[in-house]
Amino acid sequence: MKTLNIRINGQAVSQAVDDRLSLADFVRDQCLLTGTHIGCEHGVCGACTLLMDGKPIRSCITLAVAADGAEIRTVEGYQGDDLMVAIRKAFNLRHALQCGFCTSGMLATAYDVLSRIPDLDRDRIRAELGGNLCRCTGYLPIIQAIEDVHAQRSASAKPKAS
Amino acid sequence: MKPASLSYARPATLSDAVNNLQSLADQCRVIAGGQSLGPMLNLRLAQPKHLVDISQLTDLRGASVEDGILAIGACVTHAEIEDRKIPDVTLGLMPFVARGIAYRAVRNRGTIGGSLAHADPAADWLTTTIAMDASLRLVGPAGSREIKVADFVTAAMETAIEDGEVIVQVLVPCFSPKAAWGHAKYAKKLGDFAQSMCVAVVDPGRKVARVVLGRRSELPSLLRGVSELVASKGYDTTSETLRSAIDEDLKAAQADRGDQTMHRAIVERAIRDLAA
Amino acid sequence: MMHAAFVRSPHAHARILSVRKPRDFAAQVYAAEDLTGVARMRSTAKLPGFKPSDWPILAAGKVRHAGEPIAMAIGSTPAEAEDIAGLVEVDFEALRPVVTMADALKKTPPFVHDDWGDNILVDIKLEGGDLAGAKANAVHIVERTFRMNRMHPLALEGRACLAHYDSRLDELVVHVAHQLPVPLQIGLSQVLGISQRRLRVIVPDVGASFGLKTYVESETVAVAWAAMKLRRPVRWIQDRYESLVCDANCRDYQCKIIGYADANGRVLGLECDVVVDSGAYSPWPWPAGIEGGLALGNIQGCYDIRALRGRAINVVSNKPAGQPFRGVARPLSCIGHEIVMDGIAEMAGIDPVEVRLRNFVQPEQMPYVSITKKTLDSGDYAAALKRAAELIDLPAVRARQKTHEPDGRLIGVGFASFYEQTAYGTGPFGYSAWGIELVPGMEPAIARLTGDGELILEVGSHSHGQGHETVFAQVAHEVLGIDPRKVAVRFGDTSSSPAGTGTYTSRSMVTTGGAIAEACRLLTKPLAVVGAHLLQCNESDVQIRDGRVHGPQGSVEFSEIGRAWYHHPEDLPANMDATGLTATAGHKAHDPGVFAYSAHAAVVAVDPEIGSVEVLDYAIVADCGTRVNPLLVEGQIIGGFSNGLGNALYEENTYDEFGQPTATTLADYTVPTAASMPDVKLDFMETPSPFSMFGIKGVGENGAIGPPASIMNAVNDALRPLGAAVFETPVSARRVRDAIARARAAGGS
Repeated sequence: MKTLNIRINGQAVSQAVDDRLSLADFVRDQCLLTGTHIGCEHGVCGACTLLMDGKPIRSCITLAVAADGAEIRTVEGYQGDDLMVAIRKAFNLRHALQCGFCTSGMLATAYDVLSRIPDLDRDRIRAELGGNLCRCTGYLPIIQAIEDVHAQRSASAKPKAS
Repeated sequence: MKPASLSYARPATLSDAVNNLQSLADQCRVIAGGQSLGPMLNLRLAQPKHLVDISQLTDLRGASVEDGILAIGACVTHAEIEDRKIPDVTLGLMPFVARGIAYRAVRNRGTIGGSLAHADPAADWLTTTIAMDASLRLVGPAGSREIKVADFVTAAMETAIEDGEVIVQVLVPCFSPKAAWGHAKYAKKLGDFAQSMCVAVVDPGRKVARVVLGRRSELPSLLRGVSELVASKGYDTTSETLRSAIDEDLKAAQADRGDQTMHRAIVERAIRDLAA
Repeated sequence: MMHAAFVRSPHAHARILSVRKPRDFAAQVYAAEDLTGVARMRSTAKLPGFKPSDWPILAAGKVRHAGEPIAMAIGSTPAEAEDIAGLVEVDFEALRPVVTMADALKKTPPFVHDDWGDNILVDIKLEGGDLAGAKANAVHIVERTFRMNRMHPLALEGRACLAHYDSRLDELVVHVAHQLPVPLQIGLSQVLGISQRRLRVIVPDVGASFGLKTYVESETVAVAWAAMKLRRPVRWIQDRYESLVCDANCRDYQCKIIGYADANGRVLGLECDVVVDSGAYSPWPWPAGIEGGLALGNIQGCYDIRALRGRAINVVSNKPAGQPFRGVARPLSCIGHEIVMDGIAEMAGIDPVEVRLRNFVQPEQMPYVSITKKTLDSGDYAAALKRAAELIDLPAVRARQKTHEPDGRLIGVGFASFYEQTAYGTGPFGYSAWGIELVPGMEPAIARLTGDGELILEVGSHSHGQGHETVFAQVAHEVLGIDPRKVAVRFGDTSSSPAGTGTYTSRSMVTTGGAIAEACRLLTKPLAVVGAHLLQCNESDVQIRDGRVHGPQGSVEFSEIGRAWYHHPEDLPANMDATGLTATAGHKAHDPGVFAYSAHAAVVAVDPEIGSVEVLDYAIVADCGTRVNPLLVEGQIIGGFSNGLGNALYEENTYDEFGQPTATTLADYTVPTAASMPDVKLDFMETPSPFSMFGIKGVGENGAIGPPASIMNAVNDALRPLGAAVFETPVSARRVRDAIARARAAGGS
């Protein structure tokens, strides 16, 4: 057992954890933030994806103790974030979630992709989403939702005509 | 599944890590990004009593060029290579290969040293570093040593690492300005381990021509006949001579008959890529 | 809360000689003999010759598939439960396993069920029409044998349950990821010996299912039993490795089909022999014989084929129990009739679209009763196929096929036209034909107007991604004019939901939708009575629309109606029914069901050296009658298509010769990703069904049925110049390479 000192969604958290506990299980069972989901526990399906120090990672194959000192953002931690508001709205309008199990991972990946890659096109989005499995939607509405947000951001970034 | 019971340590320095490894011996495993070891722990395929986390050691991060060699810290992540956060001395080959490894979330944690220590024959870095004739620097109780990657990985999932040793750097010879590289890979889906992969590096400035075939379960094979041909005669992939050389080398590498056309196609495509 | 982990068999077939509990944790380990009071779980069907079998909760005597649970360990954390399970020692006497269909069809041991004398679960025969005449008059005879390999529904959330005993209510509460709350309640009650009034099943948010979570699972029974015994909550969450080993359970078929056609390519008759590998056990309540029966019952597809001989042998093997998965045998039927069509096209020199047009049931023939007694109710199959061909620009693709691709790949086009029987009923053309123990019945709904004039709908189906919360509110809006945002849709708790049977076989929009419509219609009566009272006019003069009750002068909102009933019933007229603002109704589905249909068109590029297949273009023209919410319908079809794509090209649970599963992680079991999905051109026709409320037809499985057929046909169209063909799913790169190599060896081009 160790004492884990970590920040979750902006709050400092200090809790005793079993050395072998995954970050995903810590967040779900000990912090009661059940928006992060576990689909495989071998790092392939992407349902457990959350942000650690601003970067998407697989919380199912990350030990909680290995995240000591890190800044974690789960799907519950984007209050008032404009980009995430836009992503959620686009997901809603495009019916980019059905059962919702993959969605928290998809949102983390979408957030990263839209923040990090300036010249996103459909093929790039497809490739970047390759690590998040979905069995319900067939992906096309998710790709479309991300394209929508990218188009909105590109449009608003253009200098206004004088 | 959940891992078996274990005890986790994150030593502050490299020498602390080496001491831990030496004293805990075969009860202990090194963990860096955990992208290969994590699933094994969860499946209980690996049940070390102790984990020594080296991922945050500053000695193992970062990269520098000296005397024509790029020394990459073993715990540099695939994402850092993809994003060109370290110098690129391979005319874009390394960033290109990095981007094709698994998915971004895995690349954010997975390390080049970790991938080579895990020694999965299908891993992108294994075939690529062998094609680049790269070496590793290891540090252990007996001191520091260098070994070619091709000699380091001895069998699928097995390496020549000694007790207490840690990979600290991956040493990549800098490509000269007129060097060229080619790459082709077939995986069932994007990001998967390759069913067949070929990396070709030709650098007349350093008299290097290496065409390496990577497969799912066998170690990468340096295709000697093809490499010689490509070095001397150039890259005419329509020539029958090249095709026969590929088939000869595939036979020597004991390629499965049912995979013959696939491997041949991948090697041809890598060489075509080289010429482009 | 305690956690359960299971000790599972490493052998596909073995006798259990002993189970040794770890000394320090013996009290936390339970084997079969410890589960006192648990009755056997027996799945039966009245199909002639069906052999019932017991599905053990924990194996006793012998194990029949790798991964079968033998003991349950209870720990204070999931990891600790697994530690304890790891300490249990089991001695086995390994037995030779029944692995392949050939093994299963032998009349000699080994037998999965020792008292059966063979490995045949049920042998179903279907005949109709004048097959002898068809054979005699046939000019073109196409014979094909194809295989669909075992795959996994792979809902992203695995199975899970949490049980606890509520001592205040003397009630066992079981939270479980499932599609059928009430059947599960009934099944658990029977096995655990707890009366149904003392057993509450709560199905919360579920991470998809596709048919996987529709049976009474051993683990749920064991965990529920433990919760009662320990008087503490017990939880079990399946992990992915476990799921790929134990739930690998659908689409394991082989089929030989023969089509007899005249000179014009008109199919006069079909012969079809199917073998289904149903695994070791038969789930409750859906026995494994269903797949074979459904495969035969749909083998003629949308075509006017008047003669048929069919046989489906369902065998058992030492693999996990077979379970229906999205599409349920229809993908097999679809490949059957679609490869026959392409075969006839090739033989007779007729265009593949044209040959289908010549064989379709025409709209003027509807309602059309098929040789397998399906009543095709409405639709225009020819129009759908023509439109699909248009969407992929068939002439351009054909022109492209005549040229040489710069990258050397081969282009192919394939079609699949099919119907999907949805929302069928309880009678002889519906579920009771299977003779199963729990025939799904009528579907209820309760509509209650609240004191502030909003609506709560309680239904018996369950939404795990289908968007019922939206579409059912739309139905209420259709009848009452109430704003859908003022409607709450609730389900999944047997203590408050009306007793429907759940969500399955593409029925909820028709059946639950129908029940909601009726319940809302019943509500119009008390709304009119109270409304007329408030408006001081005659009941016959009011109209209900836009969420208000309108009289000759003025109108009142539903909130005023609610206030009047809940706050001051004393003021209401004497003829006000004491039932008030709650209405309960049920819907009886039209027994033969209503038939949605689709035409799929696939354009593929095949790499002849690597064998890989890329879908370049895909079109789906679907008709599910009236679409209540087009966006949700699209979601079902595109989602279903991605499952079908996986079935066609990627997904396979493989076994070695010892019956050991070899695709046990997602690294080996390949599922389509965003990078594998082509864009899909989707178009709709809307031919309402004459037999359902609002003309709605079901649509949930539609997208999944077509792709294995269309893509197989497309790949074989691409490979035709090489004389090669693949008749096995998934159409993997290796299978394509092997087919090309075989053709070369046989002297193909």
